Amino acid sequence: MHIDLQERDEVLLRRSAAGDEDCFTQLYRRHQAALFRFALRMTGNAWAAEEIVQDVFMTLVRDPRKYDSGRGTVGAFLYGVARNRIMKHLERAPRDLQLPENGDDGYAVLPQTIDMRTPAYSAELGERRERVRAAVLELPAEFREAVVLCLLEELSYEDASRVLDCPIGTIRSRLHRGRALLLAKLEILREAPKRAIAR
Amino acid sequence: MTCEEFQLATLDADPQEQREALSESVREHLLHCPNCAAFERNWQELRDELQQIGIEERDVQAPARVEMRVRQEFRTKHKTMKARRSAVLTSWALAAAAILLLVIGWSNWSHEKKSPVANRVATVRQTVGPVSGKSSKISPAGPELGEVLVAANNSEDFTLLPGSMPGFLGDATVVHVQMQRGALGALGLTVNEEHADDWIDVDLVLGDDGQPQAVRLPQTTN
Repeated sequence: MHIDLQERDEVLLRRSAAGDEDCFTQLYRRHQAALFRFALRMTGNAWAAEEIVQDVFMTLVRDPRKYDSGRGTVGAFLYGVARNRIMKHLERAPRDLQLPENGDDGYAVLPQTIDMRTPAYSAELGERRERVRAAVLELPAEFREAVVLCLLEELSYEDASRVLDCPIGTIRSRLHRGRALLLAKLEILREAPKRAIAR
Repeated sequence: MTCEEFQLATLDADPQEQREALSESVREHLLHCPNCAAFERNWQELRDELQQIGIEERDVQAPARVEMRVRQEFRTKHKTMKARRSAVLTSWALAAAAILLLVIGWSNWSHEKKSPVANRVATVRQTVGPVSGKSSKISPAGPELGEVLVAANNSEDFTLLPGSMPGFLGDATVVHVQMQRGALGALGLTVNEEHADDWIDVDLVLGDDGQPQAVRLPQTTN
């Protein structure tokens, strides 16, 4: 989150609050993808992620004064609103965790990488990634958000602490726990010696 | 370095720093501990997987329909705001105009009330009751400026002006004015040219439209 970007966001927000649709569209396009990915990874549900992103920007349209520049960046504010919606969604439907579907409706299809290696290897790779995604989705929400922001979105600890509105130390400890849980869930620790020998 | 310390150090490290941050003691530990070596390898594998997932999903974004909906909401909100703003402006403008009219009306009224000419007119104006048959005596010399003028409305003394309807005296207003005799010509009466410049006291009966309907000439002239 560069300072210039932050200033630009604030200008865009001010102008869109005054009724400038182009500025609002720019602001939307700058943040929607990250928010959508965050929501998708947190909920595992493309419909829910879509609703959450929509809600976040509706909030911005209806009451832009909710954003307080003294408390952080526009991006962090949007993440914060998204996070509240995600938590509400998870409270409502804690077991409604699905991986995104590859639908024909043009919906949140995760890009498939083109793999030139053998089909068996590709299948194994795909399966492994699905297992990792599923493991991330099964993490408790507070660890999941730290893992999603720091490991998948590659935000710095500082930015993640701003987004999650908690100290950097908390981010570190949540991330530590998240990683340990991920490793445990994937049973990599148990399988590891066998693989080590096989190699 | 113990296994516990090693695992703590591995899991706590910042992802960006991790690769280059393998210290000498860590390398040493890895050489002698197959479990931790496996742990480190697995962790790196998982980290790579997460990184790959991050890269794969980098282009994932909300469907275009979300943008459409949000922009529609934006337009609706700002359209409503514009309409509301113009309604508020219009109502303020109307209120201001009404206040302005009131102020002008009040100022005219108070000005009329205070000015000497208005005083004179005000004192001579009087609504009379039904015709009583009694006649009041008119001061032969006529009133001076500033005097209170009272005009009686004995209908027998009044001369109808041309074009006036008889029987209008019921609730008519009688005013006592001083005017030049020549001005009677404007009311349709014949005037002696020799005395046209003379000032005379005249009682005028005003109709509902404020126009003189009848005139009572003085008994004596200047």
